[in-house]
Amino acid sequence: MEKLKDALDFRDFSRAEQIGLIIFSIFLFIFPWLGSGSFVKAVMIQFLLFSLFGMGWNTIGGYGGQVELGKAQYVGIGAYTVALTMVWWKIPFWVSMPMGVLLAVGYSFMIGYPLFRLKGHYFAIATICTSLVLQDIFANWKLVGAAKGIELPIHDHPDFLYMQFKSDTYYYYFIMVLFYVALFYMNWFRRSKLGYQLRMIKDDEDAAESLGIDIRWCKIKAYTIASAFVAVGGGFMAVYNLYIDPASVMDLDLSIKIALMAMLGGAGSLWGPIIGAAFLVPLDRFLGSWLGGHKGLIGLDFMIYSMLIMVVSAYQPRGIWGIIEQFRRKGS
Amino acid sequence: MTLIDALLQGILMGLLFALVALGLNIIWGVMDIVNFAHGEFLMIGMYTTYWTSLLLDIDPLLTLPVAALVGIMLGVASYYGLIRYLLRGPAIAQLFGTFGLMLFLRYLAQFLFGIDYRIIQKGILIGKSLSIGPFIFDWTKLSAGILSLLAFLFVYWFLNRTKTGKALKATSINKEAASYMGIKTDKMNAIAWAIGGGTVGIAGGLLANFYYVYPTVGLLFCMIAFACVALGGFGSIKGVFFAGLLVGILEMVFPVFGSLVNSDFLGSHFKFTVVYLTYFIIVVFRPQGLFGWKN
Repeated sequence: MEKLKDALDFRDFSRAEQIGLIIFSIFLFIFPWLGSGSFVKAVMIQFLLFSLFGMGWNTIGGYGGQVELGKAQYVGIGAYTVALTMVWWKIPFWVSMPMGVLLAVGYSFMIGYPLFRLKGHYFAIATICTSLVLQDIFANWKLVGAAKGIELPIHDHPDFLYMQFKSDTYYYYFIMVLFYVALFYMNWFRRSKLGYQLRMIKDDEDAAESLGIDIRWCKIKAYTIASAFVAVGGGFMAVYNLYIDPASVMDLDLSIKIALMAMLGGAGSLWGPIIGAAFLVPLDRFLGSWLGGHKGLIGLDFMIYSMLIMVVSAYQPRGIWGIIEQFRRKGS
Repeated sequence: MTLIDALLQGILMGLLFALVALGLNIIWGVMDIVNFAHGEFLMIGMYTTYWTSLLLDIDPLLTLPVAALVGIMLGVASYYGLIRYLLRGPAIAQLFGTFGLMLFLRYLAQFLFGIDYRIIQKGILIGKSLSIGPFIFDWTKLSAGILSLLAFLFVYWFLNRTKTGKALKATSINKEAASYMGIKTDKMNAIAWAIGGGTVGIAGGLLANFYYVYPTVGLLFCMIAFACVALGGFGSIKGVFFAGLLVGILEMVFPVFGSLVNSDFLGSHFKFTVVYLTYFIIVVFRPQGLFGWKN
């Protein structure tokens, strides 16, 4: 109960941030009734999904300061668990999604234990490696559809148990609920014991260790939490897209996007991943649909995207939220 | 027989891998920065050779100096245009910065040349092979292996025998002490990037002789280079050479074993998976690599 109260407590933010959150929430809630097209709705769903991913990444990458570039493997585990159990045994989404999360948690423990012997660059590359290994396995494993992927059976009638709806609006509200659960959790997390411990580790590992913090165990816990978040999103991707293959749910590009959005928005702050996703997802989708249509302009959208990354990492490594805070400090 | 054959082919590929990894290792050793764009430098080298040989109608081997020059310019431009600014920020910004560079170069190539797979058709070595006893070598691969070895030895000589090379080594051992001796760190960093870009440009030029050229070719070689560097030891030039050979042999010999057992998981699809796994195991259990001294 106490924890729940903490999670819903946004009082330590400034007035502007609180008002911003309220306006943002109202907007999210009434958004489907604004009569926007299906493309815009799909972009919004994507935005909420990536905010969820980004918030997960933020535990280990933002608060913990460990550059993690292998989150796609957990998206894959979540998505594949939901898809495979649905195809093989007709297990409803509400059972298979927690199963996927459990699997992701177990797997991340297994991998996290050796992984967190490493630091910095070595850690970052090792996470890419594990992700690539898993992708290679899934891309060649005939039992799980190999590179062709799996199609989920489509039901004739909307089915809540299997999360199959005719309209995107239902998916929208579902992912919105997940988004808020994640937001409240993160709001609690940043003031939890683990949250403070992680920030200490990020600042100075030796000092943290000398104060009796079990560094490796803390990192593993944060990594596991991040994996669980991402696996939930993966399960959602499976029922939303009705089709998954290793290239769409396990690709390195996905890992990069997740980490990038959180970093661009501002790693280590509650709003960072959301801002990052709000900025990059529409940019990605609109640029993609606008430029992709013109033959001969393939790749221009990603060029703009990557230039942004370079500029932000060179001038303000704390991301957009860092820039905002800088201005605020100047103003006051 | 196939095993020995695979071994020899693996050595030739390994020499090339060593050259690819060399530049990454020098940059890593001197500046403690991971260059994610390294594979993309290779890709640019490949495209350089492809286009110069096609447009000027000369043999691909003669375009190697051009590829090296383009690589050097690319390295220096990246250093002065981006990396210098990244150095002020935290490690995470450095990682993402070079990552941005990687994406930028990849999609620039895609934008300019399209996503087609291209291969060089004409050249004195292309399609010819040399048979020594029972073994058959493609001339392209043989020349790639030998020229890689020569380039590698040249850089090794440069680092150990010339004044600049020694200064570079001094910087990689202790930046501050080196700068007290009057070695300018900034200049050394730029030289490291120039060597890195140049060697990988040559490697790209050699690779283009027998490998498809396409915008996303870099990632695979980038990961191989990471594995070589980790295996050899960060900052160790000798180490990266043997590691390159080892990785080359591993990726050629593994499919031979795989073909003996009929399984989903041992085929040649997995030859690079083995490389990734090797990286993972090596860095976890022996972080300084086989020959490394930096921890």
